[in-house]
Amino acid sequence: MIVVTTDSVEGRRVIETLGMVRGNTVRAAHFGRDLGAFFKNLVGGEVEEYTKLLAESREQALDRMIAEATARGANAVVGLRFVTSEIAAGCAELLAYGTAVRIE
Amino acid sequence: MAAEEREPTREELLAMAYADGELSGPERAAFEAEMAQKSELRLLVTRERRLDALARGAAGPEPMDHEWRALAQDPLQRASLGLGWSLLLGGLALGVVATFIALWLSDVDLLGKIALSAVALGFALLVAGAIRARLRTQPYDPYTEVQR
Repeated sequence: MIVVTTDSVEGRRVIETLGMVRGNTVRAAHFGRDLGAFFKNLVGGEVEEYTKLLAESREQALDRMIAEATARGANAVVGLRFVTSEIAAGCAELLAYGTAVRIE
Repeated sequence: MAAEEREPTREELLAMAYADGELSGPERAAFEAEMAQKSELRLLVTRERRLDALARGAAGPEPMDHEWRALAQDPLQRASLGLGWSLLLGGLALGVVATFIALWLSDVDLLGKIALSAVALGFALLVAGAIRARLRTQPYDPYTEVQR
């Protein structure tokens, strides 16, 4: 599965557009990680606990989007975008979406 | 000595193909039906997805990573964190027990004691349920090792 942020895949012609595909997730850190993040928040620098939380969410949203594209018979997703918002404090919500296509 | 290589089993090959989206519709449906019955298949698919997710983020280490690793091995840092967590959690547990005892020795009427105890017990049961669910599903979560 080729996943790109551009509207087309260089050198490959789109033969069928299958529609929008998306994957989302909301993940939370456990109490210990939240507490660890609180202490790092006091002194500054990277809060690795939340970097990790966001990265986990990103990968899961991406996988869910790819799974939907695969189920539709696509071999590529173009125009990939990520959107994030806040559902609850300490949670990372991520939505990945793009257009599923079949390319040569 | 190099690790002995072995041929992947049928289940491993199917799990790889499934995770990579290479199974046809009927093959995928058959595999999903089999996966619903066998936890070892679910673990194999989780392992494949974990490797995929880690491979996507295959950037080299950053300079700060070495310092974080050294800090994790540093005796003073380990002792400080270990003692800190022990005192915090131990104190919290003692505080809960002391509050409970104080409640039952207080002048609060019996109905109030029962109500407050029920709230505390309900909260504890819900937390226990959430922990149990997380422990049960965690082996099938392929994203726990993603770092950044």
